[in-house]
Amino acid sequence: MMLARVADSLYWIGRYVERAEHHSRLCDVMLTAALDQNLAAVSVARRAISAFVDAEDSLGREVSFAAAHTLVLDRGNRGSVVASLSRARENARQVRDQITTETWERLNLLYLRVISASAERAFARGPATFLQSIIADLHLFKGAVDATMSHGQGWRFLLLGVYLERAQLIARLLTVCFGDQSAKTPLEDHMTQVSVLRMACALEPYLRVYTAEIHTRNLLEFLLFDEEFPHSVRFSIKRMEDHLTTLAQPGAADRSRPERLAARLSGRLEFADMDETLGPGALLSTVAQECSAIHDAVYETFISYPLEQRLPA
Amino acid sequence: MGKTAKIKAVGASTVAPFYPHEDAYDDMFAADGRLRAHYAQLHGRMSTLSAGELADRQRALEQSFLLQGITFTVYGGGEATERIIPTDLFPRIIPAAEWAHIDAGLTQRLRALNCFLADIYGDQKILTDGVVPRELILSAPSYRREMAGIYVPHDAYVNVSGADLIRGEDGGFFVLEDNLRVPSGVSYMLANRDAAKRTFPEIFGSARVRPVERYPDLLLASLKSMAPEWRPEPQVVVLTPGIYNSAYYEHAYLARLMGVPLVEGRDLVVHDNMAYMRTTTGLRVVDVIYRRVDDDFIDPLTFRRDSGLGAAGLFNVYRAGNVVIANAPGTGVADDKAVYAYVPDIIHYFLGEDPILPNVKTFLCRNPVELDHVLANLDKFVVKAVGASGGFGMLVGPHASAVEREVFAARLKADPANYVAQPTIHLSTAPCLVEGQIEPRHVDLRPFLLAGAEITVVPGALTRVALRRGSLVVNSSQGGGSKDTWVLSESETAP
Repeated sequence: MMLARVADSLYWIGRYVERAEHHSRLCDVMLTAALDQNLAAVSVARRAISAFVDAEDSLGREVSFAAAHTLVLDRGNRGSVVASLSRARENARQVRDQITTETWERLNLLYLRVISASAERAFARGPATFLQSIIADLHLFKGAVDATMSHGQGWRFLLLGVYLERAQLIARLLTVCFGDQSAKTPLEDHMTQVSVLRMACALEPYLRVYTAEIHTRNLLEFLLFDEEFPHSVRFSIKRMEDHLTTLAQPGAADRSRPERLAARLSGRLEFADMDETLGPGALLSTVAQECSAIHDAVYETFISYPLEQRLPA
Repeated sequence: MGKTAKIKAVGASTVAPFYPHEDAYDDMFAADGRLRAHYAQLHGRMSTLSAGELADRQRALEQSFLLQGITFTVYGGGEATERIIPTDLFPRIIPAAEWAHIDAGLTQRLRALNCFLADIYGDQKILTDGVVPRELILSAPSYRREMAGIYVPHDAYVNVSGADLIRGEDGGFFVLEDNLRVPSGVSYMLANRDAAKRTFPEIFGSARVRPVERYPDLLLASLKSMAPEWRPEPQVVVLTPGIYNSAYYEHAYLARLMGVPLVEGRDLVVHDNMAYMRTTTGLRVVDVIYRRVDDDFIDPLTFRRDSGLGAAGLFNVYRAGNVVIANAPGTGVADDKAVYAYVPDIIHYFLGEDPILPNVKTFLCRNPVELDHVLANLDKFVVKAVGASGGFGMLVGPHASAVEREVFAARLKADPANYVAQPTIHLSTAPCLVEGQIEPRHVDLRPFLLAGAEITVVPGALTRVALRRGSLVVNSSQGGGSKDTWVLSESETAP
């Protein structure tokens, strides 16, 4: 038994922590590329964050630093890491009774760290160290979720949020980097491809499968269809399907929607062909649309359902 | 004054006290400077730790509170900030005999007050007999006419309370307030205990301190005992106003430790005179609501119309006996500051017993003779507004300037019925760590009581501390702090 409001909060904790982690990684990669003075890589990273920050089109280091600062520490920016962590923590506070102390303390500690005055100093002194420690702390948080929370409904709603957000973020990353290759320069530069892989947390796992010969086709295949890599779109959708199937009530026909949508998308990714990934109406935009349809269906089924349908027998 | 309340200083060693004796009773040192026996161990530890070690322990303590999120929210300056309630390192120690006296006195008081509530919302015999003036009760804003004639199981109108006790100059305890409207602070009692065990593990182990950790399951048992017999597995919930309430941490804490849902008004739905909560799998029946929302906000159809914190129609469900609200609406009238003056009479009337714990002498300003006496001696009195709480709207005569007293006297004359006056009592002191020094600070004592089928006083308390030197105001909203309170078990006197 779980309150609808609680499920809602847990789901959003998952989404916000995933978003905070992804954005930290984008900034880290962008700043490293700026340090290397690799303009193509900076440009692709800048494109990846363009949806969340207005940055000048200049590729200088100062501009990159300012853009990263906005995306990490600017509380006025809705997409910033500090805003995401504040919201995740606010949601966690609302369901403090539903999550374990270990889980809460990891998130609370991280929140206190990013809002403290010393965060600005730490970011200015060494942004890479700062961002990597945030990412490491978020991994600790997720570890605490898995290791200390009961793997029941609450845990599933939290992870549903994580994987839905991840599938959307990776799909969006691939769309901005490869979606309209006609307009931008094709990403054949090795360092740029490495940057994309790093932004998806995929460099080392990719190398183990395909070695250091990086091809865009392999890269797309890996991030979209790999069955075992936890940041691939297919993996994320498959996890969502698992969680939704378990959360669904057997025999309730009207509630079959979110898990049906997830299973359909999951099946599509399982049997998809590399050649249909790009261009209009292609798989990437289907993934984005279906993810938002799943989100709506989750709300209709579990959270904001009409009361007259749900009176106890 | 209670006979058992005096603590003999036998077996006390002569050590140099940490600070010179002041007017007030001190928990650790007797007036002649001798150390009280039950503080010997703690004193030993306090003397051996260096200032640096004490500061380290204090810092570790504050860190653990911040980390756990045991904070209250302060609004102002455009942004809400979360602060921890200052917590003092040193526990306060209460010997077994003294506690037995407190336990008996508080139990007696709560029994009488529940009888009183059942009577004023029932036959009103005590009013008819003229023991308590009828118009005092019926005109009180906290009197809820809607409660008249409603059945309350075990006559337990008050299920959760936390009285404020203070020590007089000779060490005896008085009841200052009864706090029958679900007072907060119990989570601090539990968190302080948790912290104290880590701060002074050496002495905690051998001091035979009675446990407070059972509070959550005793609370759950009390709440369940209020449910009707035909609901063998009652669904209990905690109703909170939400995260913006300053006691939100406590609401979440209690729900978590009882293992019951923490609900907000928007989670509750009333349908066909039954109360439900919205879950992911549909609506579920709710049987007992431990509400941490004021009477006014429980049900917009019955009480305040602009309330979004309760559920529309909930009071009707309550009236029909389909849900239990704990504490019952309307209990506030029995801890009205004017009604307080009558509690000794209420105990006599319903139980035929003498009060075990005395009241502080209280002058009712509604009474012209008493008003004149108060006005003539304003510099000796603490004057309180009847309806106010949290240390607001009061005048501490001896600490006020002549101008402040004059302004207050005018308010008093304009609306005498709204005020009561009590002689200034020098709250007792206990040793505290203040800026690296061990100094005496004024304290009070808030033990917590539970009532359902029976009454339980949990052996422990929140000791509130006035952290400013000489201050007598212990409320957390006005710069008060807290410390852990160790109630020793019987056998502690055995050789």
